[in-house]
Formats: sequence, C-alpha cells, structure tokens
Amino acid sequence: MRLELHKVFVKDVSWGGDTRVDGGTLFINREEMLAVAKQDARFATASLELARPGESVRIIPVKDVIEPRCKLKGPGEVFPGFVGGMQTVGEGETLVLDGAAVVTCGPIVAFQEGLIDMSGPAADYSPFSGTSNVVLVVEPVEGLDQHDYEAALRETGLKLGWYLADRCREARVDEVKVYEMGGPVEESAKYPDLPKIVYFCMSITQGLLHDTFLYGADMKHLVPTLIHPNEKMDGAMISGNCVSSCDKNTTWHHLNDPVVEELYSRHGKEIVFLGVIPTLEDTRLAGKERTSWFNANLARMLGADGVVVSEEGYGNPDTDLCMNAAKCENLGIKTVIISDEAAGTDGKSQGLADAAPEITAFVSAGNVNEMIELPAMDKVIGFEESIANLSGGAEESLRKDGSMFIELQAIIGSTNELGFSRIGARWV
Amino acid sequence: MVREIENTAGIPVVQIATIVPIMLTVGANRIVPGVAIPHPVGDPSRGEEGDKAVRRELLERALRAIQTPIEEQTIFTS
Repeated sequence: MRLELHKVFVKDVSWGGDTRVDGGTLFINREEMLAVAKQDARFATASLELARPGESVRIIPVKDVIEPRCKLKGPGEVFPGFVGGMQTVGEGETLVLDGAAVVTCGPIVAFQEGLIDMSGPAADYSPFSGTSNVVLVVEPVEGLDQHDYEAALRETGLKLGWYLADRCREARVDEVKVYEMGGPVEESAKYPDLPKIVYFCMSITQGLLHDTFLYGADMKHLVPTLIHPNEKMDGAMISGNCVSSCDKNTTWHHLNDPVVEELYSRHGKEIVFLGVIPTLEDTRLAGKERTSWFNANLARMLGADGVVVSEEGYGNPDTDLCMNAAKCENLGIKTVIISDEAAGTDGKSQGLADAAPEITAFVSAGNVNEMIELPAMDKVIGFEESIANLSGGAEESLRKDGSMFIELQAIIGSTNELGFSRIGARWV
Repeated sequence: MVREIENTAGIPVVQIATIVPIMLTVGANRIVPGVAIPHPVGDPSRGEEGDKAVRRELLERALRAIQTPIEEQTIFTS
C-alpha cells in the first residue's frame, strides 16, 4: 500500500479573492466557505473567523480540529463515510494544507470542550496555537437535539476541511512524503529477524456525545479490527467526541498520529510495524473484557512480539488500558502504554484510576490537573463564559478582566495521549 | 469514601459501580457490579418495567451484601 502526502506549507491565513494558497498564505473566499457551512439546516447562525499564531486570541469552546485534506488520486476520498463515498483510503495521493486547521466551535453540551490560546502560556500546550486556524462558530436552531447538533458540527467541520484543500489543488507542493508498506504477512516475511509490533489506538466509544468513528461507523457498535497505518493517516478515524479536551484525539491528531509516524519510521530497520488496531473503551465491564480479549487475540494471531497502547481520556478507560496491557503481557507479548495522569493539583494522587502489576512500561503524557494562569486575550472567538462548565474550569475560573486560572485539562491537546505535545520529563 | 466510612465510622458499606477492577484497586470491600457507566443502577434499554426490575434486584442484592459477613474483598454477583 503506497500513500503520498503532498504537503503545501501554510504559514498564514487571510480573507480575499479565490480560495487558494499563494506564497505560503492560505487565502479564503469567506462567502464561498460560509455557504458550505450554511448548507446544514441545523445551524441557526454560522460565522467564520481567523486566528493566527502569536495573536492575542482565545478560541472557546473548541469541539474538533481538522487538517484540510483532499485526495488528488484515489481510491476513495479523505474522511470516508463523511465526505465522498465509501471506499478504503490509504493509497494514491492526498493533498495536505500543512500548518492550516479548521476549528469547530460552539457550545454543545456545556462541558467537556476546550480552549485554544494563540499566544501566552497556554500556547505552549496546544499544537493548534501554532496552526493558522479558520474557526467555524455556530449556534443550533432552537430545539435541536444535542446529538444532532454534534453530528452537524462534526460533518460540517470535515466538509470545510475538504473544501479548503479541494480549492487548493493547483497550489505548489512543498514536500511529498511517501508511506509504503505491505500487509503484516508480507512485511513479517521480509524482515524475519526484527521484532513485530502492533499499535492499539484506544478510542472513547461511550455514547452520549463521546464517540469515535471508523469509516463512518460508530465504533461503540464494533469489535476491534485491524487497519493499515496508511488508512489512519488518510482519514479512516474521525473524532465525534465532546470530552475532556486535554487528552481527546481530535480528527487532526488521528491524521497526524505520532505513534504511527514513529513506528513507520522504524519499520524495516528496528521493527516490523504490523498495523493499527482501532479499539474501544466500552461503558460496560463485559465490553471492556471482550474488547481487550479481541485486542490480545488479534495481536497473538498477527504474531506480535510487542504492543504499543495509547489511551484516550482518563478515568474508566484506565481499566481498558490495564486490561489491554495485562492480557497481552500474559500471552508473552511485551506492552508499553501511553497515558496521561489525573494526579491532583499537587500531583500527589494516584495517576491512573486502575492498576495492573503486568504494566511494566508506562509513558506519561503529563498531569491533567496541573494549574495554569492564563492572561486575558484581546479577542475571544466563541463563548468565553463556557469556561465555567468546561472540565478543568469552574465558575470562578474566569475573572472580570478576562484572565483565567484553570487546570491544564481545559486546553485542547495539552496532555494528548498519542504524545503530540511538548510536555516532557527530565531526571532529577 | 467507602473505606473511610468503614474505617472511621465502622459502618459497613456496599459499593455499586460498573468497573469492578477500579473498586478492587481502591479497596472497596463489598462490591455489587453495576450495569454501565452512564447508568450503573438501572438499565433504561429494557423499558420502564425492566429498568425498575433491574433497580430493585440491584438494591436488594446490595442490602443482602451489607448483612453478609466477609473476610476479604467480595464481589456479589447474585
């Protein structure tokens, strides 16, 4: 399977003329783009705003972030099940507006969204403080069910991501990255002496606006399955999550999964990368047992020597994490987990809600409860008062002068469990 | 909280929650497995009557658990 990512580097974004990339700036025809958003009758109001790196701008509450992409050569179209038809992705050529992002913003559940600051201390914690953002701000029609509202915002965000890339097909490509790899049988035969590694990408699949989609299918109704790494970076997995923002995997994160990237770069040299298993975090104990058995069995049948497990969210998914690690270790498959910790504002509490003695390798993505002081921004896109209801915020978080004192978990991507953050550790 | 009530006040506690491994980890002694995270003490998918039956069964099981002498962490599955 061969996928070429044709990257156009975007360093700035501006309104004006035809939608295009010129000299590193993404120019957008505002009316045309807004018309795409307004195709959805479920929005009462819709508007578009720009937010650039370094500006004194706060975006709140953020639901999802999408990297603008479209297929130059198929089969299929990016974001299958939502844009274009239903075909597998991961082959051919995909245009990427690298450095640009569509950010969807609107109060849905009044909690469990996040914020992006384009400058100041919070900017160190979110990758989206460094992207040139086009922000869609919407309000739903009266009486719209929250699930319909979430679906509308999710679908429209993806459509806008596709729209931007589609209009820039003629842009000068700055870099072509090639990802080429066969299936697990073929690659294992090619490198018989290298350890074989599979990646479990745990995803929140709990209903009540906590969902992840695989090829348009609501994952909570699926059992774990195997996909090629190219599929993941070509839009097979989509976020439908309204959940604590620090460690939710936005659609942008799925497209740019650093675990996939790193395993790929070591494939054929240090390891054999067998593939990605998108897996669930069920709301029932039996579901967690079933899922972790499926994962461990799939790993065993693939002949895996090792597994990398990334978590999404915290709390009850910590049990899925423990079960995945324990079952694999008990089958003789070495396991390393990546998770953040809810260790309290002083960092002294137990990091995970659950524990398993079989876990011997744990990469921490940071403490979600760490407090941070955020100064007021000159401009707020969205609804500032939402901080009172966000995870990591409280009624008293927002002061009259616009400054805030919050937990890291209110900042989108701050403790991302795919490891897409600047948080690190040092020996003391 | 479960442990503190038992240790400090000496009142036996039964915990109904969905994710049994977490209860075992945090040290609950009398454990009744709940239904699902969004609805631990009922099952709305079974309709009003069914939901009520599930609720009653869980509550009665919990009351039995409180009265049962135990020597170690115990999961009451019936």
